[in-house]
Amino acid sequence: MSQKSSQENIRNFSIIAHIDHGKSTLADRIIQECGAVSERKMSDQLLDTMDIEKERGITIKAQSVRLIYEKDGKEYILNLIDTPGHVDFSYEVSRSLASSEGALLVVDASQGVEAQTMANVYIAIENDLELIPVINKIDLPNADPDRVLTEIEETIGLDCTDHVLVSAKTGVGIKELLDKIVDRIPAPKGDENAPTKALIYDSWFDNYLGALALVRVFDGSIKKGQTIQIMGTKEEHQVLDLMYPHPINPQKTESINTGEIGIVVMGLKSVEGLKVGDTITDAKNPTPTPIPGFEPAKPFVFAGLYPIETDKFEDLRDALNKLKLNDAALTFEPESSLALGSGFRVGFLGMLHMEVVKERLEREFNLDLIATAPTVIYKVLKTDGEEIIVQNPSELPDPSKIDKIFEPYVKATILTPNEYVGNLMKLLNERRGIQVRMDYLNENRVLLEYDVPMNEIVMDFYDKLKSITRGYASFDYEPIGFREGDLVKLDIRVAGEVVDALSIIVPREKARQRGLAFVNQLKELIPRQLFEVAIQASIGNTIIARTNVRAMGKNVTAKCYGGDITRKRKLLEKQKAGKKRMKAIGKVQVPQEAFMAVLKIDR
Amino acid sequence: MHIYIHIPYCDSKCFYCAFNSYTNLHFTIPSYMKSLTKVITKALQKNKQKIATIFIGGGTPSVIKPQYYEEIFAFLKPFINNESEISIEANPNSATLPWLRAMRSLGVNRISFGVQSFSDEKLRYLNRAHKAKDAIKAIENAYKVGFNNISLDLLYDLAIDSKELLEQDLRLAFSLPITHISTYELTLEEGSRFFSMPKVKAQKEELNFFIKETIKSYGLKQYEVSNYGKICKHNLAYWEHKEYLGFGAGVVGFRKNYRYYSHKNIQNFINDPFFCEKEVLSKEDILLEKLFLGLRSIVGVEQKILPLNMQERANLLVKEKKLSFTNGKYFNEDYFLADELALFIMQN
Repeated sequence: MSQKSSQENIRNFSIIAHIDHGKSTLADRIIQECGAVSERKMSDQLLDTMDIEKERGITIKAQSVRLIYEKDGKEYILNLIDTPGHVDFSYEVSRSLASSEGALLVVDASQGVEAQTMANVYIAIENDLELIPVINKIDLPNADPDRVLTEIEETIGLDCTDHVLVSAKTGVGIKELLDKIVDRIPAPKGDENAPTKALIYDSWFDNYLGALALVRVFDGSIKKGQTIQIMGTKEEHQVLDLMYPHPINPQKTESINTGEIGIVVMGLKSVEGLKVGDTITDAKNPTPTPIPGFEPAKPFVFAGLYPIETDKFEDLRDALNKLKLNDAALTFEPESSLALGSGFRVGFLGMLHMEVVKERLEREFNLDLIATAPTVIYKVLKTDGEEIIVQNPSELPDPSKIDKIFEPYVKATILTPNEYVGNLMKLLNERRGIQVRMDYLNENRVLLEYDVPMNEIVMDFYDKLKSITRGYASFDYEPIGFREGDLVKLDIRVAGEVVDALSIIVPREKARQRGLAFVNQLKELIPRQLFEVAIQASIGNTIIARTNVRAMGKNVTAKCYGGDITRKRKLLEKQKAGKKRMKAIGKVQVPQEAFMAVLKIDR
Repeated sequence: MHIYIHIPYCDSKCFYCAFNSYTNLHFTIPSYMKSLTKVITKALQKNKQKIATIFIGGGTPSVIKPQYYEEIFAFLKPFINNESEISIEANPNSATLPWLRAMRSLGVNRISFGVQSFSDEKLRYLNRAHKAKDAIKAIENAYKVGFNNISLDLLYDLAIDSKELLEQDLRLAFSLPITHISTYELTLEEGSRFFSMPKVKAQKEELNFFIKETIKSYGLKQYEVSNYGKICKHNLAYWEHKEYLGFGAGVVGFRKNYRYYSHKNIQNFINDPFFCEKEVLSKEDILLEKLFLGLRSIVGVEQKILPLNMQERANLLVKEKKLSFTNGKYFNEDYFLADELALFIMQN
């Protein structure tokens, strides 16, 4: 298995597919066909290794596998480079695609092209990848491969004459697909004698081996014992071990040669220095030009994470540090909130990334956390000429000191059945979207392109979009820079006190309506207490909306005589434990959900 | 000294009831009463204390013939004096004139009737064995034979309850010679017939306030969540966290820092009346109990038993006029909030 190969029998390829179009199942089927995993060890979706990935049916970390395939008596090395399947991780997708010479464009035979597919196809085309159209799920009764092929040709402009029809579920067409990979995807053409040049397209932390880099070697080779340099950090490390990737049994090797992919073990304690997109070269004889396109992943969405029990701050710090070992995109810095005490302002690639991180912190580190509503970054030009970056609404300067506020915009691409176009246009208009493009791809599919303030989509946009289109529309976005906005900070006061963790930045013209919806939502979430609790929304000192949570009328059980006292005590202890999950703000108990309440307001 | 005696027999099982009582084991009454007498005698053998209160509860104590009580009272007599409060519970259908007369002559001086309602429809709904007119008759008889400390129980917050119905119940109650009333909000107890029928409970919070205000208008003072009028010294002892002895099947007693529990099963109790299982209470347990018991009644909570952080919380409640503070004690003004107040003080 670890035999050396010349570049001409190597094929490096990725799979591009929308969520649910069967990418992971197809990958599993390819692995199986190549005999890399015995039937016994085959569990569903081999390449999704995290529990969260399996549960949610999504791929978060890029994974790869080196396979051996025989065609016409000749052995080929097929390197399958799996890519994350979510818009939050599109930078990692682009690096995975940059490591391949070709890609399978997998489209569901009954669903057709989706927004995510298109975004990734464009990245593949920019990288000059050979694309093979693969129509999956042809076993389904409502499969319509011809329609889907036409749609690919029309939307993407890709010639689909040479395509493959498969069913990853039944195995139909898989052999033909593998043959096509060998025939059509070009072999790597690196310079074997040039200095080492390898792209880190993924990195992760292994408890036994430390931080690992998954690389594609473009020129030269990486050898065991070699001293290499990470060009972005200029750090030098010795190569302790090398492996060919495999979901169950990675194979050790002495070198990773030109055109190959492999795992580099350097005994590092953190992935911090192994950023995706960086170049590995030889320390003594470096390549003059690093691989272009390296940009450390930038967080787009920020939220405060606070332990419910204030003495768990250090535990949260430890947990974030541990997660960071495996997630170079995660950024955090300590912050403190009057309402919530000490916590961290954490930067995420997007909403899914945020959910995954929060879930892992709670699940793997046993922490009870409050997450504040996510926010984007604002650029604020102050009247004194200073420009500042605001990641936390409560840090927005006093209105009298603000000259201009700039907010990030994204280009949103949506593909939808035409019957939902009206609903979508209404939604996008409500979210301050500006239409850039509207194309009828065929009689019942429409492509919409809008410029939208990112603030309007980080909250609940995706859920809204899915609900008004009954799940049929697909959505992707990419950042397109900052634009000026007429924005104000909306504060929430609970029992008269501003709760900094609840402040949000909103367009001025929507402030009143949002404020009212917000206080009403909080009224639903904050349970009745001993005291009447006033909930107000304000801009500066002006109250723009108010409501009250009525004081509690009764909390006591009717009977308590000699025989009931122990039972009553235990009931109270239970209630006490329940209250512990709430945050005390002054004399008011606020449940965790309240801090995310803004996500639920109808607007 | 405070004594509780349990009678685990009833003529019918009410749908809301999860107490230790049985309707089909009356044949065991003679041996049960024998065991009960045995255990009381033994417990009082070395006693030199005066008995401050006795409470005979159930179940339904009025299903037991007077002769059985006579034997027990023969033992109790030396410890009883004029100050002693001796209470018994009774149901309108079984508390006959002769039975009431017998109890009175044994020295029982307080009687509490399980009336629940004066609406026959509501009584049927609860599976009570009596009708409204039986309750009226029984209370008049009790008064006639010399009881001058009479209480009755009402139950509310059933789906069929309305302010009008409860107003009618209270009007009838106060037309009778009573000195005390207990009004219980329905709770769906595990083990009761109603437990699996959540719809029987009205969940009308305003009924609580209506009842409280109406009783107040009749001149009775609330001294605990469910109790109004002339204070029952025996129940007060529970809320004051005092020691008490419990006798009978499935009873609880409390000494120093532990509770003890007898056999719940009637036959087991008959065979082994001296059995008891201990539950030791920690300092924290006792503190918590004194806190919530004090807040649900006129008893109050002594400041000095609370650690400083709890004192601070309690003082905050005084400042907010949720509690009052006099003579080193915190007093609750609104018993319906007792548990919430206790939780507020306990928070750290």
